[in-house]
Amino acid sequence: MRARPSTGMPVIYQERTFRRFALTQRLEHVVIFLCITVLLLTGLPQKYRATSWSQDLLSSPVRVQRIQQIHHITAIVLALEILFHLGNAVILMARRKLPGHILPTFQDVRDAGQMLRYLLFLRKTKPSFGKYNFEQKVTYWFLFFSIGIMVITGLILLFPVTVTRWLPGSVVPASKMAHSTEAIVTAIFVVIWHFYHVHIERLNLSVFTGRLSEQEMRTYHSEEFEHLTGEKADPAGTGGKA
Amino acid sequence: MVKRSIPLALIPASLLVLFLSLFHALSAQASPLQQETEKYCLSCHTDPNKNITLPNGDVLSIYISADTVHQSVHSQAGIECEVCHTNITTYPHPTIEYSSHRDLSLAYYQVCQKCHPTNYEKSLDSIHAQMTAGGMLNAPVCTDCHGVHDIRPPDQPRSRISETCSQCHPAIVDQYKQSVHGAALFGSNNQDVPVCTDCHGVHNIQDPRSAQFRVKEPELCAGCHANSLLMGKYNLPANVYDIYKTSWHGVDLSVYKARWPTIWHDSAVCTDCHGVHDIRQTNDPASHVNAANLLATCQKCHPKAGPNWTGAWTGHNVISRERTPYLHYTKVFYTYLVPFMLWMCVIYVALQVIRATVGRVKRNLL
Repeated sequence: MRARPSTGMPVIYQERTFRRFALTQRLEHVVIFLCITVLLLTGLPQKYRATSWSQDLLSSPVRVQRIQQIHHITAIVLALEILFHLGNAVILMARRKLPGHILPTFQDVRDAGQMLRYLLFLRKTKPSFGKYNFEQKVTYWFLFFSIGIMVITGLILLFPVTVTRWLPGSVVPASKMAHSTEAIVTAIFVVIWHFYHVHIERLNLSVFTGRLSEQEMRTYHSEEFEHLTGEKADPAGTGGKA
Repeated sequence: MVKRSIPLALIPASLLVLFLSLFHALSAQASPLQQETEKYCLSCHTDPNKNITLPNGDVLSIYISADTVHQSVHSQAGIECEVCHTNITTYPHPTIEYSSHRDLSLAYYQVCQKCHPTNYEKSLDSIHAQMTAGGMLNAPVCTDCHGVHDIRPPDQPRSRISETCSQCHPAIVDQYKQSVHGAALFGSNNQDVPVCTDCHGVHNIQDPRSAQFRVKEPELCAGCHANSLLMGKYNLPANVYDIYKTSWHGVDLSVYKARWPTIWHDSAVCTDCHGVHDIRQTNDPASHVNAANLLATCQKCHPKAGPNWTGAWTGHNVISRERTPYLHYTKVFYTYLVPFMLWMCVIYVALQVIRATVGRVKRNLL
């Protein structure tokens, strides 16, 4: 890194940072993160009700009732957060201010193909990305539909009698299966895919801090960096190997 | 004197029984058993007009039909009067000390445990014994079901068991006779259908209204309805219990069965939907689970359920495209999605780890 000059005087180096997430987006992430954790922890013992570990944990009928209450309240909080998210998007869309960075494009398919070639040693450099790369878009859209399925099927399971006034009865057992299985798929996805990308590939805390460093911008979001600053992201021309 | 005479009287009697049983074993076609004391007792007791009036006014007939006695299992096995009437060894007999007919029965049935200790002890755990202990003296004891001098095999014919119970539970047995089980028993002497004792137990009959009975009730039905050999005979599916166990009701029940068998639970068991003594075939219009009556049956527990609700019940059927399309397509979707997502994530991350490691090694070592 930067060497400290030997003058003895402390020198403050200011690193350029770039805003990635607004405060509301950061708060939304915290809410979703906490809700999903609580929902998973209170949902798994209910899904695996027939196993002894679940029965040890939920050792009395009162505990079953309580864990269901926690699950339902958390689910309502998550559903409200989803409504906020969608409502916010609709308002921004109405004002023509909705940024389209997260929308999937054909470029993402090309990026994914190039990335695969890079991973298979058929290409020397990673593709360059804009604000959100295709991995991040997959994360967003997978969780978008997953949470959507969980909220809809969860509501059907919470109000089965009311729902079947309009919908055929068989949506109830179908919802039960979908709710229970989708939860596992989501857990697998978050633990393997999302945790790898934000913790192991590199520690990316921008969703909490809201900002990315210049170095991160140059390396991982070169196209956005160039777009924002007008500078070359990779002046040395190392081809994304850094 | 009286006390000592009991073993003295038993010695020759038991020797006689032993001797006769040996004799019987050696030659099954031998002449009828000798019934010395029986013959002696019957010389007086075959008079139909012989009565004793007990202190409470009950008239106790001491008439014994010789035919009845000879047809009883005990007489045919060579077990004689004094085995049960232990206090009567001579004539004149000792005076009867019981104030009523019931008193006499309650005292006399104790003698059964001499030869049938296991069944006697079992009966002490029964709801009937509990009721007797609670002061309801009409609750049945051994002799009320098995008889006295006319004890015959209780299950010949098999319907005799249910007839026995109907002495005290006539309405229930009448209802049972209309059920698919009872109709087959009384109509065609079916040997497979359950009679009262198959579900309620024989000597240790439990209170069927208890939480413990309820929690084990599906297991009881599964005794026959999960037996594929038996069900195959009647063209019935044998997987109904297995599918029930995976259902909402069944999973909830399994938890109570494993952990809280004494706590009452409301999740439906077989009898809640199919009925108890009035179980009928599902295509019978009077069946509780007939398509015409199913909603009303669901509404017993789900009072606000509307007509679509019955579709939420997947029945005791495996998931199929014809019967439960929503469930079928949901299952197909996840059958592909779960392994796809898992392997996609694992392979992609593994490739990234390999590529990053190789890149790092190249940069640092080469």
